[in-house]
Amino acid sequence: MNDPENVKLRLNNSELWGGLIGLALGVFVVWSGLKLKLGTINDPGSGYVLFYTGILMCAFAATIIIGAITEGSPTFAARWKDARWTKPLVIIAGLTVFSLALDRLGFLLSTIPLMLLLLRAIDPVRWSLAIPIALLSPLGVWWVLKRLLLIQLPSGIFEIG
Amino acid sequence: MSGPSRLTIAVAAIGMLISAAAGAQEYPTKPITLIVPWPAGGSTDLTMRAIAESASKVLGQPITIDNKAGGGGTVGPATMAASAKPDGYTIAQMPITVFRLPLMQEVSWDPAKDFSYIVHLTGYTFGVTTSAESPFKTWKDVVDFAKQNPGKVTYATPGAGTSLHIGMEQIAALAGIKLTQVPFKGGAETNAAVLGQHTMLQADSTGWRPLVDAGKLRLLMVWTSARSPNFPNVPTLKELGYPMVYDSPFGIAGPKGMDPKIVAKLHDAFKKALEDPAVIATLAKFDMVPNYKSTEDYKKFVVEVTNSERKTVEALGLAKKTN
Amino acid sequence: MDTLYNVAQGLGVALLPINLLYCFIGVFIGTLVGVLPGIGPISAMSLLLPVTLSGTPESGIIMMAGIYYGSMYGGSTTAILVNIPGEAASVVTCIDGHQMAKQGRAGPALGMAALGSFIAGTFALVALMLIAPSLASVAIAFGPAEYFSLMVLGLVVLTFLTQGSMAKALLMACIGIVLGLIGLDSITAQPRLTFGRLELIDGIGLVPVVMGLFGIAEVLINTEQVIKRDVINARITQLLPSKADWKASAGPVARGTVLGFLLGILPGGGAVISSFASYALEKRLSRTPERFGHGAIEGVAGPEAANNAAAGGAFIPLMTLGIPPNVVMALLLGAFVIHGLQPGPLMITQNPGLFWGIVASMYIGNLMLLVLNLPLIGMWVQLLKLPYNVLFPLIILFTIIGVYCSSNNVFDVYVMIAFGVIGYFMRKLGYEPAPLVLAFVLGPMLENNLRKSLILSQGDLTTFVQRPISAVCLALAVALLVAPLLPALRKKREIVALDEGV
Repeated sequence: MNDPENVKLRLNNSELWGGLIGLALGVFVVWSGLKLKLGTINDPGSGYVLFYTGILMCAFAATIIIGAITEGSPTFAARWKDARWTKPLVIIAGLTVFSLALDRLGFLLSTIPLMLLLLRAIDPVRWSLAIPIALLSPLGVWWVLKRLLLIQLPSGIFEIG
Repeated sequence: MSGPSRLTIAVAAIGMLISAAAGAQEYPTKPITLIVPWPAGGSTDLTMRAIAESASKVLGQPITIDNKAGGGGTVGPATMAASAKPDGYTIAQMPITVFRLPLMQEVSWDPAKDFSYIVHLTGYTFGVTTSAESPFKTWKDVVDFAKQNPGKVTYATPGAGTSLHIGMEQIAALAGIKLTQVPFKGGAETNAAVLGQHTMLQADSTGWRPLVDAGKLRLLMVWTSARSPNFPNVPTLKELGYPMVYDSPFGIAGPKGMDPKIVAKLHDAFKKALEDPAVIATLAKFDMVPNYKSTEDYKKFVVEVTNSERKTVEALGLAKKTN
Repeated sequence: MDTLYNVAQGLGVALLPINLLYCFIGVFIGTLVGVLPGIGPISAMSLLLPVTLSGTPESGIIMMAGIYYGSMYGGSTTAILVNIPGEAASVVTCIDGHQMAKQGRAGPALGMAALGSFIAGTFALVALMLIAPSLASVAIAFGPAEYFSLMVLGLVVLTFLTQGSMAKALLMACIGIVLGLIGLDSITAQPRLTFGRLELIDGIGLVPVVMGLFGIAEVLINTEQVIKRDVINARITQLLPSKADWKASAGPVARGTVLGFLLGILPGGGAVISSFASYALEKRLSRTPERFGHGAIEGVAGPEAANNAAAGGAFIPLMTLGIPPNVVMALLLGAFVIHGLQPGPLMITQNPGLFWGIVASMYIGNLMLLVLNLPLIGMWVQLLKLPYNVLFPLIILFTIIGVYCSSNNVFDVYVMIAFGVIGYFMRKLGYEPAPLVLAFVLGPMLENNLRKSLILSQGDLTTFVQRPISAVCLALAVALLVAPLLPALRKKREIVALDEGV
């Protein structure tokens, strides 16, 4: 019963959670469909397709949940075994901060630090290589887009870029 | 017609674009997006492309067309009103449905407040067609058939609440028949629907013209005040006994709060475009006539249209229920 | 004989030096924008439309057409190399193409994509010349009911794209449909599922969803593994497909060409469905379907051929009826009209020089593309030799730029990052992104056509089985759905699913 590759009715059953999220989404879609009005079959309303898609979602999610309980599934720990889970976390965090900064600081001021972070924090590239890449790649792209293709990237409050 | 000269022109054009972007800090410094709320390839799309093309030469920046179809041509302007900055880089074609739909149902925009009107451009020639293989030879055949089979006659329109929908319902009410509307997204789609006989009729602007010329579609009537010079044998609504004229005039607008200087710049560019012989020729291809109105006149016109639309919509019983 | 004369006349027009030059510029720009994810043929063509006005109609339209099919070639490159599909049609190419690249076979994958595209493109053009007028009726035979059934078939086909559980694939498809419906309702203009966010009124863009689910999620998955990509690179030996590859790909290319050409004629979504359908067909016909998803060259050859043949088929409704089947074709239509021409039933007879000139220039353009692309393969493969810790920040940089350029909107960058995170968890839990993307593209068309057909039939559901084309599509869909429930097939699925579960 404690084989991490196959647990059944446990809280760390990963399939079960996948199914539950699907079910929750399905219920939400059904509810949204109802709120948008189904209309009649002669003239279906805005919520018609949403409602029935939601019902299908619930059905598929239920199948997944039943399968997870009867046949069992790997635990979360087993799925993330041998994975350096902190690395994706760093990237996600970096991207989140970046996306918040992009509009305010502009393309160049937010992209260069992001590139430095990505180059140094995952599998560190030596500084003598990381700094030129982090500086030159955003600058090069920015120049090509702005000067040759006339595409404006966000310039931010400092109007740099 | 030697080769290199054309190449030089092309290179010069690119050069002009680049220098315009690099040098000038004044509006416009980047490409302008013009939202056309109809699918690409219909009569509005094609004429707006020609107008935009000509206006972009005046402005010195390319104008890119963004086709955001749906909702009878309201999805595009509604999106613009909701999300675009009033910096003059996003403008939209304003079909009459933008004023009419708020009278019929709950919508996310207010035509009186959410737009900066720029310039009024032109109007359409509408017509009703049927497939050449259809048994309907004249409009009278349609009326006779519909009297026998209420609701069985289907017609494709470019969207619910468009002038085509409202017009057809008015005609049906006067003729004492019941028709079923099928809302498509625009001319390219209604053409295919009536050609394939998926709907019996098509009510749309002149996008059907090449197909009528080729004998694939039969034009039953036009909604202009006088017969179209291109189709002298086709009766108008008035001749058929329906005292109405529909031309759905349209112009362009931006999101609310645009700088009057930018509005003036766009107005001048589009006014020039309307005078361009190439634009007039393209409009003529679709039986459209320039109908210029300045920014101020356009604003007044919007109020007038809204009032007259309110009357029509109420008369047809399509008005929004107020509680 | 007429056709031969016409072809000769067309070649005469296409071989004028100025037209050759425009054709080359077109395919060159097309290749470039195809390779840059996010900057698709649509933005390139609308920006360059003014430039083409200075020449004759032939030159302008030849150049625009060149951009279009050039970008079809380029789109597969990033899909294979870094798992970023440049457009919806190359999503399928990612599945096996990127696996091949991971196994050091990026060269053959790229080579087969280019050669398969060339062969399909050429055959589509021959077909376009010989039977274009008679096929015009196909485009209009599809009404709302037929489209609805075709979309259903398309959605069912996608379950063959997955290696794992059918329930998960179908759940993903439903989520894709719902995501596709976000925004203003195309019939009543009511906002749906927008949560009061103005940015969502317009719906979610395809580019940020695809880049997030594929590009960003792939990076996240790769960085959590200790194994470095450099080790694999040592095994890159061949640059072009081998004899065995050719043998495996001949059938898929031929079938993909026919499928793509026929589906390409249909207005709306033809190219996307054809590439997915070709993949499903090859997997179904293969004696070793378990190789699909793990670097099967058939899974690259078929869809790439279908994709390019569809680009040829798409010219039929435009040239014969004046009905553009997709936005790119509509832009071409715009180019025609601005040049004072009106495509429609009369164009071929009124302007034979123009019509045949364009078709002939497409032959030449296809040849140019091959010459242009084959030497590039060596360069692209070198790119993979970059150590992954240098490569992945660059991938992220390019996805960000691609997404931003596709809409000029920072909100789309948020959407991409969100879908990157969602895509990462989906992969960890064995949910695949391809069904979601296909359903995302087809969902709005499915809904719109269902509602229209119900209005047309006055709520009578039998309309879907009474109309022959629609009935055939639905019957095929049912057959496909029932087949996996048969015991023998089911076993096969589970074996594959277990491999995936690790």
